[in-house]
Amino acid sequence: MSKTKRWIFWIVMLIALVFYPKVFGIYYTNVFIIFAIFALFAVSYNLLLGFTGLLSFGHAMFFGVGAYGTALALEHVEGMPLIASVLMGALAAIVLALILCPIVVRVSGTAFAMIHLAFGQLMYVLALKLRGITGGEDGIGGFPIPELNIFGIVSIDMADPLNFYYFAVTVLGLSVLFLWFFTKTPFGSIMISIRDNANRVDYLGFKVPQSKAIIYTVSGCFAGVAGSIYALFQNLIAADDGFHVMVSFAPIIMTMVGGIGSFFGPIMGAGIFGIIEELTSRYTERVELVMGLILILVILFVPMGFIGFINFVKQKFAKAAA
Amino acid sequence: MKGNLTKGCLKGAEIQALGKTAGLARFRHSFISFGEDDYMDPVTAMYVAQGIHGLAYGMVLFLVASGLTLIFGMMGILNLAHASFFMLSAYFAYTVLQLTGNFWLALLIAPVATATVGVLVERFLLRKVHAFGHVGELILTIGVALVILDGVQAFWGTENLPLPIPDILQGLVNIGGLEYPAYRLFVIGLALCLLAILAVILYKTRLGMVVRAAVSDADMVNSLGINVPLVFMLVFGVGTWMAGIAGVAIAPILTVFPGLADQMGLDAFIVVVVGGFGSLSGAFIVSIIAGLLNAYGVQFVSSLAPVLMFIFMAIVLTIKPMGIFGERE
Repeated sequence: MSKTKRWIFWIVMLIALVFYPKVFGIYYTNVFIIFAIFALFAVSYNLLLGFTGLLSFGHAMFFGVGAYGTALALEHVEGMPLIASVLMGALAAIVLALILCPIVVRVSGTAFAMIHLAFGQLMYVLALKLRGITGGEDGIGGFPIPELNIFGIVSIDMADPLNFYYFAVTVLGLSVLFLWFFTKTPFGSIMISIRDNANRVDYLGFKVPQSKAIIYTVSGCFAGVAGSIYALFQNLIAADDGFHVMVSFAPIIMTMVGGIGSFFGPIMGAGIFGIIEELTSRYTERVELVMGLILILVILFVPMGFIGFINFVKQKFAKAAA
Repeated sequence: MKGNLTKGCLKGAEIQALGKTAGLARFRHSFISFGEDDYMDPVTAMYVAQGIHGLAYGMVLFLVASGLTLIFGMMGILNLAHASFFMLSAYFAYTVLQLTGNFWLALLIAPVATATVGVLVERFLLRKVHAFGHVGELILTIGVALVILDGVQAFWGTENLPLPIPDILQGLVNIGGLEYPAYRLFVIGLALCLLAILAVILYKTRLGMVVRAAVSDADMVNSLGINVPLVFMLVFGVGTWMAGIAGVAIAPILTVFPGLADQMGLDAFIVVVVGGFGSLSGAFIVSIIAGLLNAYGVQFVSSLAPVLMFIFMAIVLTIKPMGIFGERE
């Protein structure tokens, strides 16, 4: 694709995003917000799995902590601005990531995955047990959602779903954009080198554990932003939505289905995941059964995911044409 | 999930039952014995009762965790569907019991049926994705776990299904002035028997030697002319079979419900992580510690009991990231 074509593509996408709620109505707008939240969650997760080669089974804890951070801030602090509450969610996730860093950067592979499963479950049990703070199974709900105040000039009412759509898509889109540029920096190359050969990165004079810690914190931070928007969107966050082990598995499934090696794979995966969930839940309650079967089939037959499949087909056609 | 909640409730009910038993023992002894010296002081009785209680849970935990750690040691994958097999076996046992009414038949058939499913999964799914590396295998096991979890709910429903204790094991056994449910003692005995058989096979036979060799270096064993994929399949089968036995054994105590997998699975994973990946002795010791921690935790700090295991794990992992008996990767 040439440069002009790419620009045209992105501008068309932007226009489509702006007019999407007008065309599809309120129900599909809400479906899209959920998709966008999980797309950011999956992209932030792919920073670990796809780029750095760290498989985690507990990424939900950053999502959950972000959500609870925002909810608690809005519940307890009088006059909390909207943007600040999202930042509180991100900050909570960063703090959690910084606490876990010293333990997790020392291990990799299955040990890394299992430690995360365990810590993720610890957070889940804590969210259930610390009723005084988290509200137990009921979670925190009905907290006030403030108006979006831009430099004290305009204030936009967030109770209107349309306004909330634009706010959520802007925040999530900017986050994805930030992560995109993050992977394009020289530091992004270090991530990929750590995945391919950590020892060599070490010999080249880069500090592997410290680099891992930075990646880990960035990834956690944006998972927190996704969680924070989720809490704002639902106006409710409970332990099952935030910390459940299925929430940790969702980005793994999305990344695998979409394509593990590419930046846009997880976004595709989130889209496919959303469509499948939407369709299957109309016909059957057994959504997880269908998800599991799809996961098995994907691993067996298209291990590189949707993006890998497209590239494969492209290569075939290119060969046939030549 | 719901499993953890039910766990709390059940533990509460069990404590009450236990209190009753201890109280009953005291009451009976005050009638029968004239001297004070042959009946246990109630505080000691409580300690012993909770100890046996924890031991029983620890033993069942070990049955699940040993399969998990063996499979991990050999094939390098943590089988996330392991606890699902454990639960599947409990459901199989329920169905066999419904059809035949014989607990012993259920104890025999259900684990074998589970192991068959496990072997099929290994042969036709796991082996195919082996070439794509460990991440693919791990994620495949998530898929299998999801399918089993939802399939079980579609088949048997979501409510708690009771599995009655067989008549012989009903009632209480008197140990040193304390009445204790016979079934739990049976579970401890069963687990110890299996442990002994496993230890003999692993450390005294040629097959065990091959398995241990494959744990330390599968490629080398393969190039020595031993059919390693077959050994993998066997170990996977035995691992799921032991998880299956654990599933049938725990079913009369906890009843059969879809949350069983989370409850046991998580504890088993912690045991494997803390004990050291692939270490059988580590799994055994940590299982016992976990069982006792659970039992005494419920007794003394009941509100914190579910978190105790995680705190224990966090402490161990901060000091030794590869677990107590684990070697550096």
